[in-house]
Amino acid sequence: MKAYSGKKWMKGLTGTMLAVMLAGTTVLAGCSSSGSDAGATTADGKSVLKVEVFDRGNSPAGSTITNNYLTKLVNERFGAPNKIDVQYVPIPRSEELQKLNVLMASGGDVPDIVFTYDQGTFNRYAQQGGLTDLTDLLNQYGPNLKKFLGDETLAYGQLEGKQYAIPGKRSVLGKYASFIRQDWLDALKMPVPKTTDELYTTLKAFKEKDPGKVGSGIIPFGMTIEPAQSELLLWSFIKQPLTDEQKYTLSQKLGSRDYPILLPGFKDGLKFMNKLYNEGMLSRDFSLDKDKKQLGQDIQNGKTGFFSEDADNPFYAGSSYENLQKNDKNAVLTPIDVFTNNEGKHIKPEYAPNGLYIMIPKSSTKAVEAIKYLDWMASGTNVLDMQNGVEGENYTMKDGIPILKPDAPADVTNRIYNYGDMVIIANGKIVGTEEQNNEAYIAQIPEKYQADMRKSVEISNTETFPPINFNKPIDSEAKYGSALQDKYDQLVVKATMVSPDQFDATYDSLLKDYMSSGGQAILDERTKAFQEGAYTK
Amino acid sequence: MKTSTYLRRYWQLYFLLILPLAYFAIFKYGPMYGVQIAFKDFNFFQGINGSEWIGWDGFREVFQNQDFYRTLRNTLMLNILDLIVSFPAPLILAIMLYEVKALWFKKLSQTILYIPHFISWVIIGGIVYQVFGTQSGFINNLWVSMGFQPIPFLTDPNYWLITYLLTGVWQSAGWGTILYLAALTGINKELYEAAEVDGATRMRRIWHITLPGLRPTIITLLIINLGNMVTIGFERPYVIGNVAVQEYSDVLSTFVYRIGLESGQYTLATVVGLFQAVVGLIFVLGANFAAKKTTGEGIL
Repeated sequence: MKAYSGKKWMKGLTGTMLAVMLAGTTVLAGCSSSGSDAGATTADGKSVLKVEVFDRGNSPAGSTITNNYLTKLVNERFGAPNKIDVQYVPIPRSEELQKLNVLMASGGDVPDIVFTYDQGTFNRYAQQGGLTDLTDLLNQYGPNLKKFLGDETLAYGQLEGKQYAIPGKRSVLGKYASFIRQDWLDALKMPVPKTTDELYTTLKAFKEKDPGKVGSGIIPFGMTIEPAQSELLLWSFIKQPLTDEQKYTLSQKLGSRDYPILLPGFKDGLKFMNKLYNEGMLSRDFSLDKDKKQLGQDIQNGKTGFFSEDADNPFYAGSSYENLQKNDKNAVLTPIDVFTNNEGKHIKPEYAPNGLYIMIPKSSTKAVEAIKYLDWMASGTNVLDMQNGVEGENYTMKDGIPILKPDAPADVTNRIYNYGDMVIIANGKIVGTEEQNNEAYIAQIPEKYQADMRKSVEISNTETFPPINFNKPIDSEAKYGSALQDKYDQLVVKATMVSPDQFDATYDSLLKDYMSSGGQAILDERTKAFQEGAYTK
Repeated sequence: MKTSTYLRRYWQLYFLLILPLAYFAIFKYGPMYGVQIAFKDFNFFQGINGSEWIGWDGFREVFQNQDFYRTLRNTLMLNILDLIVSFPAPLILAIMLYEVKALWFKKLSQTILYIPHFISWVIIGGIVYQVFGTQSGFINNLWVSMGFQPIPFLTDPNYWLITYLLTGVWQSAGWGTILYLAALTGINKELYEAAEVDGATRMRRIWHITLPGLRPTIITLLIINLGNMVTIGFERPYVIGNVAVQEYSDVLSTFVYRIGLESGQYTLATVVGLFQAVVGLIFVLGANFAAKKTTGEGIL
């Protein structure tokens, strides 16, 4: 029983333990009380409005995601006159859905303004009665907001005639273009490919003749499991023309995208990918590339000959094209429009005219303030100022389009580093007409790439088709969506990677798995909705 | 001694016990209130009390879901393989370390062996990609430069299993030696001396003295491990797994994550959790019973 001899030691320890325990209880007490009356008012009598904000971990030095130029601007221009303290609640971008589900479940702690891109999640929240009905509030407090968004956009946030979400407005609807190494083509004295067949010949030549002197690591066609890299290819294999019934019932919306999984020709698309993969044309580890990181590295290291991507992605300062030219000053990327369907068209999916679904949880007591905040954002020059910064310092106006100053110092450009996540009512720069928006979209690219960017944006807007819309929610998509997204990825990856003689068996078994995991339920529900005529053309 | 005097004399010890007890009450017993979600059509805007009872419907839905069986199979498979590959590793390492005579070398190797335990799985995942990838991994680069075909360590299910298991050994074996090394210090040194005098070789000494000395520890750890057969950590299969090997890497924890946190079907996620707990309990009790029958030692 030696341990008991050290009485003093014990006394000291019990003291510490007591302190720790007391601290523990206060923390616990703190937690439970903050839940019930979360953010009613601040000490100086201001009402607190909590707003979600995506955190991409890219705050520049001197700013934090909750305290930066834009948060200060909001509190000065909107907060002070309205006696509202706007506080931001950061949510990691990559886990927004999971975190949002947890926040919504926590009741009292949920921000007053939350949002998601996921239509299924919005539908589910609305149907479970978790969202504030904004119909009257919008009429009463949101005249500017209504004008800014327009009826067409607002309709995306309505369910059974009630406004449950404020959909953000998307400025640019075009999505994708493809890009090819012009210097490789020149070295091989080959023309820019214009059809899928020509592309195949070109890729084969890249592989065999290695014009870039890359060696065994050459990737003729850069691929990932992000839809941006495979969607153009897969849609181009869908056999047109489609009847309305086929269009509405045989595609499936998972998350915010229509997947052509059951449409005629989808299998041929996969078969083409399988062929490319087995002939060593695709990125070998594309199934591991969930965030395009590897794709970006391969492009900038000059290993990749061709890829499809969001039209703007390669061109930003510090993006893959600039880095590629740093590594190899002779490298040239040209935007091309190449995947051809059976009608000889280069069809491409485009975005729905809405962006985020902005929602006010039912548990929030600040719905009026929240609408006032969004309405303030839509009024006056607030969108312009928040997206572009200060005129004369960040940008100059030319023909009504803000042109970013290329020589603005970092501390000036850093002001608006997360404008996209702060200006939630807009997705992309909103300046005015569609054309002006497109110009602003191009103007944000460094000048040396603007000509290419213009071409790329033009391609992304050519022969596009809009997403499909039912005017009532397809419940099974909300229910099975995320699980099916996994199954879809699995189908694409596996069918691409198997040896050609096993392609059919693999495709059949994985499609069967997909269908029995919810795909069939979606098909049935869509067929029923179509027969009832519950769709908008 | 009367109980009251006993309590008064050693009150500090009982006081110390409050903290761990509070921990269990708050974090282990408190959440059990939520188990009822498994029997309710849980709508988190209505709360647990506001949601309607649905009886066994949630269980029916889970047991009809083929993904549940696939993930259950994978969980058991990965755990059993892990038990075979990873369980003996720290034991062997600990015995080897114990036999090392140079103290500095022993300390150094112990430290080096512990380090992987403190690296998060996310980082290990990054390392694994860099080492084993077919296009950018350095093992394959070496392999290909020697003129061989690349080995799909991460994208072929069978190769992936090996990668998964060996990464697990690398990460946890060093840390696992701690318990064994502690137990080894409890073995009477005189036994070794006597054996040496009697002419027992090193292997004989390990076989007849070290291993029997470790038996209670081995059995305890084995029972705990068996109790965890149907539960599996989330990070390792999630981070090291990928779409191409999902037929093996998709386990109960990733399944729960998907249906619970991603799709918001909390009822189904709770059903799976409850199922895991019940099966885990059966495994622990069964293993304990078997251990008592065969060796006379158990933990309960």
